[in-house]
Amino acid sequence: MTFLELEGVNTYYGESHILQGVDLHVDEGEVVALLGRNGVGKTTTIRSIMQLTPPSEGTIRFQGEELVGKDTYEVADAGIGWIPEERRMFGRLSVEENLRASVPDTSKMDESLEFAYDTFPILRERTDQRAGDLSGGQQQMLAIARGLIGQNDLLLVDEPSEGLAPQIVANVGEALLEASDSVSILLVEQKLGLALDLADRYYVMDHGEIIDQGDTAGVTAEDEQLRRYLSA
Amino acid sequence: MSAETQQVDSGRFPSWIGQYLRDHLLLAVIVVLFAVYPFLYDFLTGQFGLTAQMILPRTRTMLTILALGLFAMSFDFISGYTGYLSFGHAAFFGIGAYLVLLGHNGQLPVVPAETSFMLLLLIGALIAVVAAFLIGLISFRLSGVYFAMITLGIAEMMYVASNNWAFLTPGESDPTEGVAAGSPSEIGFFEPALGVPFVESLQVEIGPFGDEEIFGIAVGDPQIVSYLMIGAVVLLCYLTMKRIIHSPFGRVMIAIRENEERAKAIGYNVFYYKMGAFMISAFFGAVAGALFVGYEGAIDPENSFFFLVTGFALVAAIIGGLGTLAGPFFGYIFLEGVEEFLSREGGGGGLQPFLEQNLPGAILDTDILGLTINEALSAFMTGHGDFYAGIIFIIFVLYVPIGMLGTLRNRYGTDSLAKYVSAGVEKRLSSSDGETPATGDD
Amino acid sequence: MIDVLTPLALAETVDLLTSPSDITGVLIEGLAKGSLYLMIAVGLTLIFGLMDVINFAHGAFTMYGAYIAGVAVLALGVGSMGFVGALGTFFIIMIAVFVLLAVLGVIFEVTLIRKLYEYPPIFMILLTFGITITMEELMRMIVEFRDINSGQWDIGWDAPRQSSLPSELGGTTEIGFVNFTGLQLMQISMGVAVLAGIWAFLNKTRYGLFVRAGVEDEEMARALGIDINRTFTAVFAVGSGLAGMAGVMLMWDPLWDVNVPLALAVLLPAFVIVIVGGLGSFKGTVVASFLVGLIDALGTWAFQTGVIQFTDIDQLMIFAILVVMLILRPRGLFGVKGQGDHG
Repeated sequence: MTFLELEGVNTYYGESHILQGVDLHVDEGEVVALLGRNGVGKTTTIRSIMQLTPPSEGTIRFQGEELVGKDTYEVADAGIGWIPEERRMFGRLSVEENLRASVPDTSKMDESLEFAYDTFPILRERTDQRAGDLSGGQQQMLAIARGLIGQNDLLLVDEPSEGLAPQIVANVGEALLEASDSVSILLVEQKLGLALDLADRYYVMDHGEIIDQGDTAGVTAEDEQLRRYLSA
Repeated sequence: MSAETQQVDSGRFPSWIGQYLRDHLLLAVIVVLFAVYPFLYDFLTGQFGLTAQMILPRTRTMLTILALGLFAMSFDFISGYTGYLSFGHAAFFGIGAYLVLLGHNGQLPVVPAETSFMLLLLIGALIAVVAAFLIGLISFRLSGVYFAMITLGIAEMMYVASNNWAFLTPGESDPTEGVAAGSPSEIGFFEPALGVPFVESLQVEIGPFGDEEIFGIAVGDPQIVSYLMIGAVVLLCYLTMKRIIHSPFGRVMIAIRENEERAKAIGYNVFYYKMGAFMISAFFGAVAGALFVGYEGAIDPENSFFFLVTGFALVAAIIGGLGTLAGPFFGYIFLEGVEEFLSREGGGGGLQPFLEQNLPGAILDTDILGLTINEALSAFMTGHGDFYAGIIFIIFVLYVPIGMLGTLRNRYGTDSLAKYVSAGVEKRLSSSDGETPATGDD
Repeated sequence: MIDVLTPLALAETVDLLTSPSDITGVLIEGLAKGSLYLMIAVGLTLIFGLMDVINFAHGAFTMYGAYIAGVAVLALGVGSMGFVGALGTFFIIMIAVFVLLAVLGVIFEVTLIRKLYEYPPIFMILLTFGITITMEELMRMIVEFRDINSGQWDIGWDAPRQSSLPSELGGTTEIGFVNFTGLQLMQISMGVAVLAGIWAFLNKTRYGLFVRAGVEDEEMARALGIDINRTFTAVFAVGSGLAGMAGVMLMWDPLWDVNVPLALAVLLPAFVIVIVGGLGSFKGTVVASFLVGLIDALGTWAFQTGVIQFTDIDQLMIFAILVVMLILRPRGLFGVKGQGDHG
């Protein structure tokens, strides 16, 4: 069943026409990678889904419900979690407060926190620390943990490996793989290897449009066609 | 350039000639209208009595508008064009006003008592420029709200000082009540004259007891003479500011407003331009203060250094159009017009005297909820112009954020600076509404 | 009225400065004034921190609070109630004013202010400035029409205080060399209570968590499912209510005039405090309130004892603090880069 579906989405940022008719879909339980060079509209696609940069044309349906015109918090309430590129911690809040702010249902607070700490034990050690003082990798864990405990059915994950050391990238990859058992994921990722490892399908974007798509089965990071799309 | 403009211009003339004529024709027409206004007022009120008095501002009010309108334009010069909100602009108005009076009263070092008005006006303006330089040294390290607040803080210190500093009012009088010309009794009459400094024959005395003729042409009423002379100075100031804004210097001011980082990146020393603009605006702000006391002959802290003096310039600027230079002047006419329309001063006309004369007493004395209409009028309308001005202001901020002149220029678009402002606002609006943003039509 | 008197000899000044009862007197007065300033400024800080709104109407809310309280104490006959009854009624009035002005704040937020969140911040200054002009003129109409204080809107209305301030609060108590009035004690306790209340709200409640999250990153807070618009409304309500509450306190303080210009008289020092503390920083506002309170008290003392011949020395010093602070630390004591920089 189609879970998330974008049809003819056009989005402007100021006067620039960023998304020029984007069509894509994510099925339930799927991990879908959104590939492309810098500045082709991948982040805007995610922001459009969250209604942070509302599209001016097109439809975005999630579990049959139209998202265009809703407020961002309603999109989040519908079960979509956003793990943004810059992680966007509340730097002056503690790790635990960051997590608490992400749990919509207060009656499930304790088990949600437990779950987050079990998934990322390092966070348990830092629970009272200011999130702004965490290392880049720990912040990424916290960002993913926030997405996981937000009672979401779909996670929009933007460049999770950006600026992280290779070992930490592997950890983040594992965490996302584990998460993909329970939620669907739309993943924007520059590291082709990581993206292909995690994803079931992929889309390639250029100049605000989807120019190619396919199954990741059998496709490697050395694929000529893909490398051409992604090289500057 | 908008489509309409192109159609009009694509006739016999190259477009810039038509544009130039049209711009300046309009200016000429407006100037002539202002010049004949006092005579027109006398004629119309003679002809139509209270009806005309109710609608039209008195010449006396127009005199105030000239000075305060110039002040609002000087405020717009820095705030509307560079985007740096000069919230303490009243300081310069106060400096200009106080300096003329203190100079006349012989309280300034070096400057002898009864120095000519023109000279004092220039000295005051130059002192304001120096003050702006000093304030700017501190303030231009900041931007946004912080800049607005530090300029406000400095002006408020001057306000508090002017309220307390016994030096301002020698003798027993209270500084909160202000300074009047000729206050120590040995000082001669205040006879302010506008014209060419040091050339007696090219000066005309203003003030309620000033000349009744201008360079030999009899006008009759000193009030009208003052109006015309002060108006001429205001016009000169306006043209000067306009010239600066249309110069390369002005372009950089606007570039700073639009994107200071980019202006810096292009290689402009933005500090120099901001400082220059601030000093120029201080100059004209002080001239406005001097012109104000030129007719009034007195000033108090409440009407000079106080925050609300800037506040109302801001209100006028928004109603007229921030970043349009002339707009704030017209905004002031509108503000004072509302004020006077609802004023209670007997001779001034306004709504209540008009109704009292024209409605039958029975209607005015009709009882509604224990209050007659006449009583309700005096309680809720008369003398409360600021209340309605406030509501109108709120409506402008919400629905006409680029002001009257901004809207006009947008519609009948000459090369309008308001366009940049409105394009920016509309862009924000459309992106939040999710509509297609208006593309810049210039 | 103000003469240039010969300043006191230096020796006498030093004498005064080292007198223990003067030092404690200035300290206590500083704390009391700081508490009032805190009540006035804290709402402004909360509103700015979350919404980037410089609320010029804040002082008008305080002025309304003072007038409403004045009318209420006279109408209820607080003056004839005895100490406990008067104090109890005073607090009930305070709560009522809080609720009333919070509701007014909600109305303004929902009908006017909300429309401009997308605009550049200067429009918010303009809008709230328009609101304050309108509110002040409306109060002027009411004062003149209802003949409050004989219709004099610009002169302090002290009938409510004189008729209702219990002598227990007005009188001075002396313990050793420490002198204080009951009113000072009450103001300090109120300041501490407001401080504790806001702190608990921000740090111990879920709504407070949302507010702090929204202050840091509004967009991310929305994306986590927090209805920031509702949080805005709530904070605007609390801020407006607190401003009104401060007005109720001022009604009993002989140093403040209950009149229409009160709106600006409280607004300007409140701005100073918020800026000196650092825009949007609650901690900064607390520190700055007491700093300004102390310096204000010091200035008043200096004038009263004749060290300085300048009636409004306290006001002059308040604005001097602002200017000096902005020169030394352009973002205030606890300010964060980025807040309020773009105008």
